[in-house]
Amino acid sequence: MKQRALWSVAVVAALALTGCGSAAGGDKTSNSGGKLVVWDWKSGDKTAANYIAKAKADFARKHPGVTVEFVNQPFDQYYTLLGTAIQSGKGPDVMMFNGGGQIRDRVNALVPLDAYVAQDRQRLAGWDAFSKDGKIYGAPVTLQGHPIYYNKSLYKQAGLDPEHPATTWDGFVKDCGTITKATKATCFALGNKEGIGIQFWLSGMGSGILSPQEYDDWIAGKRDWTSPDVKKIFDLWKQANDAGLNNKGANSTAMFTDIFSVFDAGKAADIIGLMSDIGHWKDFGDFLKPENVGVMTAPVVTAGAQPSLPYDGGIGYAVANWTKDPAVAADLVRSLTSTDALSAFYVDAGAIASDTTISTASAGPAVGTIVSELKAGKPALHVALSSKTLDLMGKLSQQILDGSVGVDDALRQLAASDKA
Amino acid sequence: MTPRRAADDRRPLGDRLAAYVLIAPAAVVLVVFRLWPLLLGVDFSFTGDGDQDGTPVGFGNYSELLHDPYFRIALRNVGWLVVLLPVAVAIPGLLATFIFLKVPGHRLYRSVYFFPAVLSPVIVGSIFNLLLSYDGPLNKLLAAVGMAPVDWLGDSKTALFTVVGVHIWATFGMALVVFLAGFATLDPSLLDAARSDGASLVQLIRHVIVPGLSRTIQFVFVTTMIGLLTSMFGLLYVMTSGGPGGSTTLPEYYVWIQQGQMNRPALASAASTVLFLIMLVVGLGQIAILRRSGRED
Repeated sequence: MKQRALWSVAVVAALALTGCGSAAGGDKTSNSGGKLVVWDWKSGDKTAANYIAKAKADFARKHPGVTVEFVNQPFDQYYTLLGTAIQSGKGPDVMMFNGGGQIRDRVNALVPLDAYVAQDRQRLAGWDAFSKDGKIYGAPVTLQGHPIYYNKSLYKQAGLDPEHPATTWDGFVKDCGTITKATKATCFALGNKEGIGIQFWLSGMGSGILSPQEYDDWIAGKRDWTSPDVKKIFDLWKQANDAGLNNKGANSTAMFTDIFSVFDAGKAADIIGLMSDIGHWKDFGDFLKPENVGVMTAPVVTAGAQPSLPYDGGIGYAVANWTKDPAVAADLVRSLTSTDALSAFYVDAGAIASDTTISTASAGPAVGTIVSELKAGKPALHVALSSKTLDLMGKLSQQILDGSVGVDDALRQLAASDKA
Repeated sequence: MTPRRAADDRRPLGDRLAAYVLIAPAAVVLVVFRLWPLLLGVDFSFTGDGDQDGTPVGFGNYSELLHDPYFRIALRNVGWLVVLLPVAVAIPGLLATFIFLKVPGHRLYRSVYFFPAVLSPVIVGSIFNLLLSYDGPLNKLLAAVGMAPVDWLGDSKTALFTVVGVHIWATFGMALVVFLAGFATLDPSLLDAARSDGASLVQLIRHVIVPGLSRTIQFVFVTTMIGLLTSMFGLLYVMTSGGPGGSTTLPEYYVWIQQGQMNRPALASAASTVLFLIMLVVGLGQIAILRRSGRED
């Protein structure tokens, strides 16, 4: 009997020991000096293979003894997984971020990179989206923005001049009417199932509505949600939908990626799209032919507005503060933003890279227009908002479209969220 | 000291310890992997997020939840699920009755009805995304009979009912099987007697079938409620992303958004605790119902 009891003790002890062992023996390798672990959602893409290979080669020249492992995470789970890693203080040494709220919300877990990337400040654009309180926390890889793309062949079919789209809102709406009459295509392709359509609208149309002063104040954090021009942005959001300028069922159509195929199929004349990743000039060009994809500036709604291309740093890499040697990790970030690597990314993936020295002359007219507008471009309006306010704006935008919330009520809620 | 205790004391120490040692693995697993994380989560819900990470904030997260209109919508939606529960039970019950009464083709229906239950929610969601899209087949059908199209998933007034309807479609096969098993225990002579007394179909269901199946019906109520509260996530994720305007957000979806997208793990813990309390109340209520029906035997 005693023997049996002792055996049970032994079994339980063994179970407990192995249990503890597996629970505590987590990811220790990521902190060792001989290896760097990178998390992103790009390195698995075929179009990024060349980019990653070039960055790795560049880093291997500087640090031959350090191995680099890329872990490709699914994007829709990325920030959930990262949140868990940050909570436990263990995880990748270098990780990818979207510029704006996503990185600013998590700077507590990151190393300021100012000292390491000083030489790259001039060569790369888009740093603001990776900075908070004057410190840089990530280096931009791509630029992300919201050009208004239009389908030149639909303009031609409707008898309009495809090289000179309207520059005022009234003219734009009139052209839309002509196109819809001639081709049955709607004016805008709008997908707002995720509540992201309003972000594109705010940033895509904003520079044609706000005065330059209001625009700069908005970016600087002095946002007046009660100003008539801000209200105009949301009024037009509602009016455009009520007037039938959007495709039907915008609230149940996904921005990623159902709505892009509506534009690809020629069922809509215009779309506020992206510059990099997806839903951009390269994707549209594959379907509509590059010469049929046009880029226009925001139509002017209020007199005195100066339309500009809204863009920021798109995606970039940052260094976790639990990494063993931040200088080595920062060097990897520098390799990931080297000219050589970024030109490969631009050529293969069609991303507008952050490196201003890359030549884009050989691509279609759309990319030429975008690049020429970069100099006068300004940060996008929605990127200045916190992810909490963006989430609220997404929900409210859906409620505005289906009529369950009024524009004034929505603006009041947004003002309160923005102040908090 | 009772004589029995005295007898226990006379046993060797090892013998008395053996009982505790033998239940220890199960108890340790429960405590370490269930209770302890639960307590950690509740404890975590009283701390702050972001700059206030780790500092106690009392009931701050809970009061924020209370003031968040979208969390209130999520709770209201739980209320809607309770209201819709009888429908979710009545549909498989009624269909099982027809199969039991051997309507023409009942063998075929039995397998057809069960078929959706083997599909994953993601596949079901994708199929219905296509069927219910604004220019999809269902709206074309409505247009053909002269009715206005409905934005099934894009209108905050209809979206929740649409998703619950799809959930019922996808899961009623299980409940149907349970009902059919219940019917197998029904005494056929009672049905024959009622029929020869001239009872109509409605009277037959009302006075013979429902009383005879009361325990089965209660069981299906309990399992369907659990299914509605815990396994809608996949459908919501694929079909509406909780929208439009939060109208299809359920507490678990809210928790996921706050933790993953908003970087508010402590607030998410508070919401989880509230969800846990709701489930506790529902669960205790259901145990009480099951106990009572057990006693009727």
